[in-house]
Amino acid sequence: MGCCYSSEAEASDQEEETKRLLEPAASPPNKVLNGAEQSYHNLPSARTDEQAMLSSILAKTAINIIDVSAADSQGMEQHEYMDRARQYSTRLAMLSNNLTHWKKLPLLPSLTNQPHQVLASDPVPFADLQQVSRIAAYAFSALSQIRVDAKEELVVQFGIP
Amino acid sequence: MGHTSALTQGLERVPAQAGYLVISDGAVLASSGDLENDEHTATVLQGLVATALGLRLPRGHEPPFRRLSVVFGEHSLLVTVSGQKLFVVKRHHHVQEPVAV
Repeated sequence: MGCCYSSEAEASDQEEETKRLLEPAASPPNKVLNGAEQSYHNLPSARTDEQAMLSSILAKTAINIIDVSAADSQGMEQHEYMDRARQYSTRLAMLSNNLTHWKKLPLLPSLTNQPHQVLASDPVPFADLQQVSRIAAYAFSALSQIRVDAKEELVVQFGIP
Repeated sequence: MGHTSALTQGLERVPAQAGYLVISDGAVLASSGDLENDEHTATVLQGLVATALGLRLPRGHEPPFRRLSVVFGEHSLLVTVSGQKLFVVKRHHHVQEPVAV
């Protein structure tokens, strides 16, 4: 994309273009751009560079962003609405038959019927936690002591004459 | 939020609770206290539960556990599953005050 532009003429061409594109869209972005355009023509040349850059950034953003709230929505009659809803749900049904990788995650087994009671009951006794931590520490220590006990040469010569 | 109050009423009353989460299909249905809007914790705990559910001891129970506790210094996160929903509550550890004699 780049932020630099090579000539004043190029910048004003771009603004003409964006002005035409923006006209059918919502007015707020257009208004701002018009304001920016005007100041482009009025400011002394020292500031026009920055102003033109800002306008072009604004224009690019306005082109890329769709203002959904400002879009005109044509009213649909009730029967059209129902027809379309039926059409969409039929399509969805067809698609869901084919999309096997969209299958629901495996069902979670239920661990309890009374989650609140289970969560409110006594916490794990501290003694149990200590015991488990001790066991884990022993296991870790044992694992870290696993060594290779080299008793013989790894490579031997067969008696090849 | 009316339909979630049945889910959360019981959680509010858990002793020493400092927050809770109710998760369904990967989405947080309700949250409160220290766990309010805590989607990160929700994600992590879902993974933890899924992993733990896969652990099976020979001759072990089915399902393998009823409640999962993640124990920290001052608090614990307690997790259980019911009706396809994950219930999480944060509980402070009961601190025994020294008795003055």
